Amino acid sequence: MCSILSQIIRRTVSSQLISIPPRNIKLRWLHSSKVLCKITPFDIDATADLNDEFNELNSMYTSMFSKSNSNNKDVHKVKTENSLVDDINELNDELNELCSPYDTRCGSQNVPKISGDDLKTLVENSGRFIMISLSNNPYFNLALEDYIYNNSGKASSITKSDNRNSFVNSERLMFYINDKCAVIGKNQTIWKELFMKNLYDNGYQVLRRFSGGGAVIHDLGNVNYSFLTSREDFRREFFNENIVKWLREQNPKLNINLNERGDITLDGYKVSGSAFKIGRGKSYHHGTMLINSRIDKFKGLLKPDELPNVKWNCNSINSVRSEITNLPLTSTKQFIDICIDGYKTHFQDSNIPVLYCDESDTMNIEIRKVMNKLMSYEWKATTGPPFEVQINTIDTQLTLTVEKGIIIKSTIPIFIGMPFQEFSRLSKALLQTDV
Amino acid sequence: MFSVARTAFQKNSLKLFLRCQSTNALTKTQLPFTYTASGPSLIKYTTEHEWIAAHEDGTAFIGITKYAADALGDVTYVELPEAGSDIAEGDTISSIESVKSASEIYQPIAGSLTEANQNLENSPQLINEDPLGAGWIAKIKIKDAKDLENPELLSLEQYEKSLAEDNH
Repeated sequence: MCSILSQIIRRTVSSQLISIPPRNIKLRWLHSSKVLCKITPFDIDATADLNDEFNELNSMYTSMFSKSNSNNKDVHKVKTENSLVDDINELNDELNELCSPYDTRCGSQNVPKISGDDLKTLVENSGRFIMISLSNNPYFNLALEDYIYNNSGKASSITKSDNRNSFVNSERLMFYINDKCAVIGKNQTIWKELFMKNLYDNGYQVLRRFSGGGAVIHDLGNVNYSFLTSREDFRREFFNENIVKWLREQNPKLNINLNERGDITLDGYKVSGSAFKIGRGKSYHHGTMLINSRIDKFKGLLKPDELPNVKWNCNSINSVRSEITNLPLTSTKQFIDICIDGYKTHFQDSNIPVLYCDESDTMNIEIRKVMNKLMSYEWKATTGPPFEVQINTIDTQLTLTVEKGIIIKSTIPIFIGMPFQEFSRLSKALLQTDV
Repeated sequence: MFSVARTAFQKNSLKLFLRCQSTNALTKTQLPFTYTASGPSLIKYTTEHEWIAAHEDGTAFIGITKYAADALGDVTYVELPEAGSDIAEGDTISSIESVKSASEIYQPIAGSLTEANQNLENSPQLINEDPLGAGWIAKIKIKDAKDLENPELLSLEQYEKSLAEDNH
């Protein structure tokens, strides 16, 4: 058993977890034949594992550790079903890559991008602005958002309560689109929320954000908005109420509403999820908006509430599972434009500047530091409360206690001291259970 | 004229309402108060809605006010600070999650953290139920008692007055 473990550990070094996403930025265009699907992204997708380069190896271990080999044939089933749908989707992907609203190949390289130094001046001083990120790198976008939040109004010392007036008329609005990734809330446990293996096998990055809330999947068809205001003016519903209003003005036939959790729904299906951060003198509300996301591809990425044979004892925040759909707009750009128009009207200020930034032009040491933190294994995985997980295998029950990402107690002693991340990767091969 | 009079009336009634409620006062039956027999020597508030109850021996308890707890809604998770660390005034000591919001809690004055309220790990709702008592967050050893005289720290009356001004 030891040698098998060490073999597997050798090829599952956690470097994968901290890999930097490729710079080759995927581009997007509206889907010509949009697949409007309404699914639950946490459905377990039996096909999600099929691209696994280690499948053969994994199933070898599965057969070594299982009493019957009857399940293994499923693993080797080739992806032929749904091939027509896949072909159409591939075609869509190619079309997507031809041009994007904020596409570096379609003219937006001519858009002036703000430099790191100018960003600093802009953010630290008072005054409203709208920032559109041309980067699809989720690490950059989350770091940029955090930078704007942490440094907003610094020059006019909004952090001192006496000067709270200096934050008046200084709301900030930001938009960014992330390449494929799963983003969990600040106080969640990644393994409890995500099928890590499926995510990595399918090219998704995994990030922990700085705001609260649950796990979401991003792709290039999803646009993120982020509204920053003073702590005093913070109101949870403010921005989503306005989005609903602006969208209804655009298309009165849309059946869009806010649900009891303040999320935006279309015909009862969630199209947007929100999270918030509140700190000294400042707050932000950010949210996702599904426009032409490949929701069909989200299957098998988020874990359902309960998995057979696995029981979590954990105080971290649970995601609220919801059925999702796309908002029927032509592009993410259309959504951004609707918001910008509505926003300027709301603040009765048509001169709010719209600025662009990207990773190569808009960088400074603080953004880079936050990117490094977001990419670190420690922030992604080991932040969060200790937990206990109970796994029922065919012939035994295994209980593990995990603190800061390391297994500190185990009913099978061999696992003591092992990073839970590695245990999780091995679990399917060793225990036939995704943990 | 009439509207001015009405506003003044509303303000006065709000003040009266707050004084009657005075829900931001420390709970007298819980540890932050009962740590010494005579109770804390000084209780102060911050504009970020934290309270600090300081005792004679330099020990102080920190938590958030009833106003803040109500504004947060149902608390679902408290990120507890680690004991043994020196924390400067204004540093983040904890973060509270409620209804998808992560809210930062700041150290009102410099000191070293001696204990976090471990009960919050399994019962984060104590912050809603008794924010000025059983829902205390951190116990600290104050670095310099003079720091308590910082004019940015408010008395209960000043704090509630600032709330009334924010809400008028």
